[in-house]
Amino acid sequence: MSGLRLRLKSAPVGRLDLSCLQPPVLTSETAANVARMPFEGGSLGDLFEVSAIGDADTLILAGTTDTCDGIGDHLKSGTIVVEGDAGSYTGRFMKGGRIDIKGSAGNYLGSGMKGGLITVAGSAGNFVGAMTPGEKFGMAGGVIRVGGDIGERAGDRMRRGTIVVKGKTGAMAGSRMAGGTIWAEGGFGPAAGTLMRRGTLIGPKAEQMLATFADCGEHDMVFLRLISRFVAAELGPLAPAALPARVRRYAGDLATIGKGELLLTG
Amino acid sequence: MTGSQTMQVNGVAIDDTFAEAFGMSGTALIITADSQKWANIAATTMTGFGTSVIGCGAECGIDYEVPASETPDGRPGVRVLIFGFSPDAILPQLKNRVGQCVLTSPGSACYNGLDSAQRLALSAGPRFFGDGWQQSKRFGGRRFWRVPVMDGEFTIEDNVGVTTDAVGGGNLLILGRDRVGLLETAEAAVVAINKLPDVITPFPGGIVRSGSKVGSKYKGAVASTNNAFCPTLRGTTKSELDADTIAVLEIVIDGLTSKAVSDAMRVGLKAVTDIGAAKGVTRVSAGNYGGKLGQHHYHLKDYVA
Repeated sequence: MSGLRLRLKSAPVGRLDLSCLQPPVLTSETAANVARMPFEGGSLGDLFEVSAIGDADTLILAGTTDTCDGIGDHLKSGTIVVEGDAGSYTGRFMKGGRIDIKGSAGNYLGSGMKGGLITVAGSAGNFVGAMTPGEKFGMAGGVIRVGGDIGERAGDRMRRGTIVVKGKTGAMAGSRMAGGTIWAEGGFGPAAGTLMRRGTLIGPKAEQMLATFADCGEHDMVFLRLISRFVAAELGPLAPAALPARVRRYAGDLATIGKGELLLTG
Repeated sequence: MTGSQTMQVNGVAIDDTFAEAFGMSGTALIITADSQKWANIAATTMTGFGTSVIGCGAECGIDYEVPASETPDGRPGVRVLIFGFSPDAILPQLKNRVGQCVLTSPGSACYNGLDSAQRLALSAGPRFFGDGWQQSKRFGGRRFWRVPVMDGEFTIEDNVGVTTDAVGGGNLLILGRDRVGLLETAEAAVVAINKLPDVITPFPGGIVRSGSKVGSKYKGAVASTNNAFCPTLRGTTKSELDADTIAVLEIVIDGLTSKAVSDAMRVGLKAVTDIGAAKGVTRVSAGNYGGKLGQHHYHLKDYVA
């Protein structure tokens, strides 16, 4: 099984749903067969230049823009490399495999994902790892790593999994969070953890911290070692430096059950 | 006891007999702490009173010290093994021993130490000490619990691997004419065995001086002294001892696999025959029940180089 490279012949005029492009399906076919597959009222070959590559079970999407939505939707295995930007809903409900985005990602990155790894070299939009309206929970497993900043409401109703951000988060990261971890190396924007019930936010600082977070003092917790090692193993050279031995713990949001925490490393 | 003396190694007679051992279930934990000293304290405490399943509920021991670089949290650790009749029989032992001896030990944490598809709920008891303040974190495929305690948090993995391929009751009987020399020889054998992974010698210092037989003249006693191997009874009972034997010591071996027990039998016997003659050891034998009870037989002749 070889890999495939699909290069957009021109930037899409409107939004383009690429959720059907799944590595296990496409890479089992020849490039010629893939080019003949029906897509958007025509064939994939109408929009993409399709060529074979050496990397097995890998799908490269080149020339993409921020209007290319749904990349890696429900992905179970294989690797998708996005040589460009990705639109909204990238990696939505992903269960396994890997998505590497060389540019930036739109809204709802990894929304509802249950497993696998997403890396973004640039920044990501709002609602990273969040739920969409009408759903019960957001991200429930896997790892997302963003090289730049992320937008508002990251991890909204997140249940499990880990989000690592090299930059900072927008407002209300971890809102209504039910579990999981968001580690922002650049810190948190305003009102982090609004209505969070459980889960962990880790960063050097938090802007406009909510009054409903209680200062529990500075502590060295074994769990910090576990997450540092886990992230290092998952992300390799992309992993942040290990957490310090002591962090300041704030418990919240006490407007709900207050079993979440904001750990400040600075 | 079956067998006869047929071999001599370095002046020590080796009985042509076998150790008869039983299938058991076993599990392994990694216990860590802020220092090796406190990891050892927690491990020693939790494996205490764990010499025999008959009286203690489980057979427990320290397998080896784990360097900080190899533990889940990067702190010094100890691997301990726990054996029981079945996974169901091990579970309450885990709950009590971890809850009373590891959870309580300053700075400790407790993790799975055995890769196995079959699992036991390691945290089922200790995490509820958190009284609702316990939190779980899942990293990859592993779930951990953080239980708030007075020195911070007790971290414990949610579940632990258990194997039903474990073996309990591998043994060596060391006989001789000098009690002190016998003990020094048995100590050397235990040191050699303890260098191997996946095995423990659960009795005090790894050595038993009160080998037992099944049953008793007294109602309710499931085991009693092995009079055939008691030197002070020679002449009054059907003795298995030679005229110059004044003491017998036994090393009991439990392992996560039959191969681990077999390897331990080999290095233990070698250690005895290497130094035994000079220490007054005259003979090595092994305990069995005629081969009808235990599934695993370890013949001493197979370990004579």
